[in-house]
Amino acid sequence: MSVDSQVDTQDADLQLIDALARGELRIAARLITRIESGDSSVASILSKLHARGGNTTVLGVTGPPGAGKSTLVDRLLQQFRHRGQRVAVLAVDPSSPFSGGAILGDRIRMNQHSADEGVFIRSMAARGRLGGLAVAAGDALQVLDAMGWDLIVVETVGVGQSEIDILRHAHTVVIVQTPASGDAVQSVKAGLLEVGDIFVVNKADTAGADRMQSNLREATAFRADPHDPACWLPPVLKTQATYGSGIDAVIEAIDAHTHHRLTHPARWAQRLRAQMRVLLLEQLIDLQRRRTVEDPAHQQRFERALDEVLARRCDPHTAARKLLDASE
Amino acid sequence: MSQSPMPQSKIRCLLGMLGTDVHSKGIRTLAQLLRDRGVEVIYLGEHNTARGMINATIAEDADLVGLSFSTATYLHYTRDLMEQMRAAGLGDVPVMLGGLIHADDEPALREMGVRGIFGPGSTMDQIVAFLQSATGKTLPSGISASGA
Repeated sequence: MSVDSQVDTQDADLQLIDALARGELRIAARLITRIESGDSSVASILSKLHARGGNTTVLGVTGPPGAGKSTLVDRLLQQFRHRGQRVAVLAVDPSSPFSGGAILGDRIRMNQHSADEGVFIRSMAARGRLGGLAVAAGDALQVLDAMGWDLIVVETVGVGQSEIDILRHAHTVVIVQTPASGDAVQSVKAGLLEVGDIFVVNKADTAGADRMQSNLREATAFRADPHDPACWLPPVLKTQATYGSGIDAVIEAIDAHTHHRLTHPARWAQRLRAQMRVLLLEQLIDLQRRRTVEDPAHQQRFERALDEVLARRCDPHTAARKLLDASE
Repeated sequence: MSQSPMPQSKIRCLLGMLGTDVHSKGIRTLAQLLRDRGVEVIYLGEHNTARGMINATIAEDADLVGLSFSTATYLHYTRDLMEQMRAAGLGDVPVMLGGLIHADDEPALREMGVRGIFGPGSTMDQIVAFLQSATGKTLPSGISASGA
């Protein structure tokens, strides 16, 4: 790259950052589209955003399909707006593994905020990105962070590892369950239990809500250490999001968790490091995958290795190692 | 999966209904058929306002907007939306209409700037061809409507 074009890129990036800071929605929306489509030209702007980023509190909300995540987020938005907070929402939904298409329907539940300038909702499809989903979602969150919202909410279906990894971008994680989410053993997917800061049993008017609540209390109790005042014990709350009941308690719990995070900086730094470690690792794997599989120059080599494995002339472990060596 | 895992530029299509029309069976079916053709559908459902649709079009960076009507109010609602979209600087975003659209109203709708009109008897292939020509993006080929 020539010096001139480097200067141009610098200028263009700084203009873009200014536009984001001014809250120009269309520019932000288009930048997120470029991130979604894997456009590599966003690298320099993302690098600048990262350097200035991490200013906005990110609230993660997850749970199984149909648990009422979007409805709960809608109710939380109502309260945040009531307090005068301006909020951005990133709603991540799965893509069809067959067609690559998706139906992104989270906005329907948040329709009452559709004309509110203080709420920005963006839907994102997983697009079969394998592990790269959390990276792409993280980049989109960087864009929202640069826009100066008071709060960012990221909503995702808690079904796969890559969806759960998205929650590593969040300061506070709310896990939504229903009384129908299964018995004590399967009520919370392993992995979700560990990342949750607040547990919500939604649809609390249906049978089994109390039992689900006590199951969750039991399952999260292992995280409580009575001798460690810096330990956060996840509250387990009941809501009926459709009717708006129990929402105040969720807001109080979110505030309490934020207060806990700010008053225990050492504990938070530890968690942040653990979160960032996973994300960096994922980025590395994603990069390596692109290099060895998606680069046309390497695709042929990959297909040849696949032939060898299928013919049982080479085992998958050796083939993978050879591919890795060849991509250096 | 035989497709490339490489993320690509997808067609993002907003689908919704304006006003008090509650006959959403058609648009829900279309949403599923478009998903099965590889489109990312941002589904807004019923009872939207023009303002809400415009905000969604901007935030979602939608490539086009699809409306469905099963009541006779579509001329009024479509004109209002098209005017507000132009005022919001979204005049270049293609709009298509489906549902019970009378052939006699097509010239008036075209004059308002509606690019695609798909009344009863329209086929998926027609709609998909329109989506591709209106957005300049291509959909993955060889996917059956059943998604199998």
